[in-house]
Amino acid sequence: MSDRNEEAYVELKEINKHFGNFHASKDVNIAIPKGKLVALLGPSGSGKTTILRMIAGLEQPDSGDIIIAGNRVNNIPGSERGIGFVFQSYALFRYMTVYDNIAFGLRVKKVPEKEIRERVSELLKLISCEGLEKRFPSQLSGGQRQRVAFARALAPNPQILLLDEPFAAIDAKVRLELRTWLKEMITKLQITSIFVTHDQDEAIEVADEIIVTNQGKVEQCGTPQELYSSPASSFVAKFIGNSTVIKNFDRFKYFEKAEEAEEAILRPEFVAVFKKGESVQYTSSAEKAVVEDIIFRGSNLEVRVKLYDNLISSLRSINEPIVEIGETVDVFIYRMFLLNKDRICLVHNQSLKQESVVI
Amino acid sequence: MKRKSIIPGFGISFGLTITILSLVVLIPLCSLVVYAAKLSPSEFLYTVTRPRVLSGYYVSISTAFVASIVNAVMGLILAWVLVRYEFPGKRFLDGIIELPFALPTAVAGISLTHMTTTNGWIGKIFYDAFGIRIAYTRLGITIALIFIGIPFVVRSVQPVLEKIDIQCEEAAFMLGADRKTCFRKVIFPEILPALISGFTLAFARCIGEYGSVVFIAGNTPYETEIAPLLIMAQLQEFDYSAATSIALVMLLIAFVILSINALLQSSVAKRVNGKS
Amino acid sequence: MEIRKNNGPLKWILIVISFLFLTIFLLLPLIYILSTAFRQGIGAYLVSISDEYTIKAAMLTIKATLWAVAVNTILGISAAWCLTKFAFRGKKILSTFIDLPVTVSPIIAGLIYVLTFGRQSDLYPILDDMGIQIIFAVPGIVLATIFVTFPFISRELIPVLTAQGTDEEEAAALMGAGTFTIFRKVTFPHIKWALLYGIVLCTARAMGEFGAVSVLSGHLRGKTNTLPLYIELLYQGYDFTGAFAASSILVLMAIIILILRLVLEKKGKKELDIKK
Repeated sequence: MSDRNEEAYVELKEINKHFGNFHASKDVNIAIPKGKLVALLGPSGSGKTTILRMIAGLEQPDSGDIIIAGNRVNNIPGSERGIGFVFQSYALFRYMTVYDNIAFGLRVKKVPEKEIRERVSELLKLISCEGLEKRFPSQLSGGQRQRVAFARALAPNPQILLLDEPFAAIDAKVRLELRTWLKEMITKLQITSIFVTHDQDEAIEVADEIIVTNQGKVEQCGTPQELYSSPASSFVAKFIGNSTVIKNFDRFKYFEKAEEAEEAILRPEFVAVFKKGESVQYTSSAEKAVVEDIIFRGSNLEVRVKLYDNLISSLRSINEPIVEIGETVDVFIYRMFLLNKDRICLVHNQSLKQESVVI
Repeated sequence: MKRKSIIPGFGISFGLTITILSLVVLIPLCSLVVYAAKLSPSEFLYTVTRPRVLSGYYVSISTAFVASIVNAVMGLILAWVLVRYEFPGKRFLDGIIELPFALPTAVAGISLTHMTTTNGWIGKIFYDAFGIRIAYTRLGITIALIFIGIPFVVRSVQPVLEKIDIQCEEAAFMLGADRKTCFRKVIFPEILPALISGFTLAFARCIGEYGSVVFIAGNTPYETEIAPLLIMAQLQEFDYSAATSIALVMLLIAFVILSINALLQSSVAKRVNGKS
Repeated sequence: MEIRKNNGPLKWILIVISFLFLTIFLLLPLIYILSTAFRQGIGAYLVSISDEYTIKAAMLTIKATLWAVAVNTILGISAAWCLTKFAFRGKKILSTFIDLPVTVSPIIAGLIYVLTFGRQSDLYPILDDMGIQIIFAVPGIVLATIFVTFPFISRELIPVLTAQGTDEEEAAALMGAGTFTIFRKVTFPHIKWALLYGIVLCTARAMGEFGAVSVLSGHLRGKTNTLPLYIELLYQGYDFTGAFAASSILVLMAIIILILRLVLEKKGKKELDIKK
């Protein structure tokens, strides 16, 4: 990301962190531009939360520098780094009202009560929770709690907002609404924000940029499109999208033989499934396969076919002719990722070239 | 009475429970009620307002109150130390807190008494240095009650302190609170209900305590005579009416204390669990 | 965790206060008992504890304790089973009544039995005809011991069973298992350590009960004197070596109980961790 000539606002340089024998962060280098909404994405135990907590000053790195707005902040307590933190389970103070929760950070800073009142009512308006100020956290819905936690973190006007799994504790339906709400809110406030998630859909939908972590290392930083179209490592290639790993890819027709490649990755959008005779274009280059399973996905169907012992997924619109389990279908593979250690290349079906030449 | 459940064994377990409960607790309690109902109100009032009896209540309640306050403060410190700090001897400390539950009260009583008489290990020091007598004074009673009450507060605060979500403290810290503010505003409100509950249990237990107190009290009328001892004295004179009258007032006091606590706890629970 | 780390002076001040407080209030009395028991040499100690009446008193204490443990185990298991596995009306009242005995002063506990079975009671002539004497006799002592330890076992079992829920029992019942199979195979493994722990607590309290037993005992040497009562007798008779020697037996029991408690708690926790 730093190569995009945007000045980094939050920067981690050569960060290492151990918890006992566990190496939680390995040479972590990241740079986050001002005003961006960034997701830290990775499986659990990949070290994403540790990175967030080190930025917040809740953990100290063993080595490396944490830089915010050009200043090294390693020795500055978290509360003085200009950071708002939204905790995974919100950590609202149970014995305080909504008002007192939001006012807490301001009271600690000895802000005059009059200003506190103004700021709190401004924030309550922002989170559309006017009239709830006298309630206790237990009397709020999950979504409201999250909003209050958000307002509490914003109250002291932080420059950076950190959110730890902000949607993990909410029902699926509310979660979608809240995602959109949070993205709008952050865009409106122009506040540099970093959130941790293990849900790639969430990261792709909400974030401007995504940092993928795995086993304590940063695998790749980039926009969702970049991660999608040019994964930098095999981990990213497998982690992003609904990927299927194929070992015997050299049996697939019309693909160049790549000697040194070890495995290939297919995603549903790389594959098309046709009923017999449905497509004229690719008949000669299609593979024959049997439908193993069909999963209704609401707007479309996921069709799983068995091809050379691999279960491959593809999506079909519900408006297309129906295929059935056990039916023999034509499967056309447009492209696949070939992986060799950490070198990745996208290869296309050669028949595409030939046929386009013919046509 | 019974709601349908697929699990068998309601009848037998309920039956056994009610039978044993009736034989050991309910029937004897009923006989207390029946006996109390037979007391004439004037006699009852005369008995419980006798200066010696009133002074007995006063001694019991005041010493129990002071001891429970001491235990609330020390119990809070002990619970805090046991939950938040690592240090050598921690398991030992944790282990001996339960000693007052395990050691017979009479044994504790004679030991504390013998130690604190003007010839005893501790008593001699205090008497020689400050002229303070411990055994056979209200101070002695208070000390015996502190001994009895130690585990109550520790054991009710400790689990609550262990369960406090660290995120709440981190949230306070991120918002700029220092340790003191964090303790006062975030941790203390969390443990206050448990602290009150521990205090109340200790207080109720100490008011009725007999075994450990009777030796150290010296039992001087109007000075160090506790209410349970007055009941005992009436029983030995076979004056059951007087004994029952005094006991009824004590039960009433215990009932009031425990009810206040129950109300307080349920109002806190309401606030925290959101049933309003 | 970093914000909870604290190695400031406050930590050590609080730890030192804790150690001092517990040493003075808990350990010193314990050491005092042992040192006084052995003050006149091991010979005198052995003579004291092998005294005929001491042994008889110890036997009676063991007898009452065994009764209390047996009755309260049955009660504890059935009460915990019906209170946690079923929903029924009056549940709250039932559990209040089970917990009631510990909040009652031991002297009042003694009093209610005197009122129930004493000479003035309507039951007395009936029992007397059958040749049963309860008050100032062994049955009274046993009853009083059961009463004061009444909820000790159920109180340990109920939280464990509540946390465990009813899913497993329901599954077993659906597969056609009967009450005792479900209890033995499904429920019992969960409550094993809690039950043992409850038994240990019950034993501790039963052995040491003084007040209630004191009311109901005829104070007959070798007949109705339990160990704590006999200790009182020796102490009142200025036989301090004897009193403290007899006490040392109970101190030893208390120490064993504390160690058992730690072991059981550790086992219970370990099992819980494995399940998680």
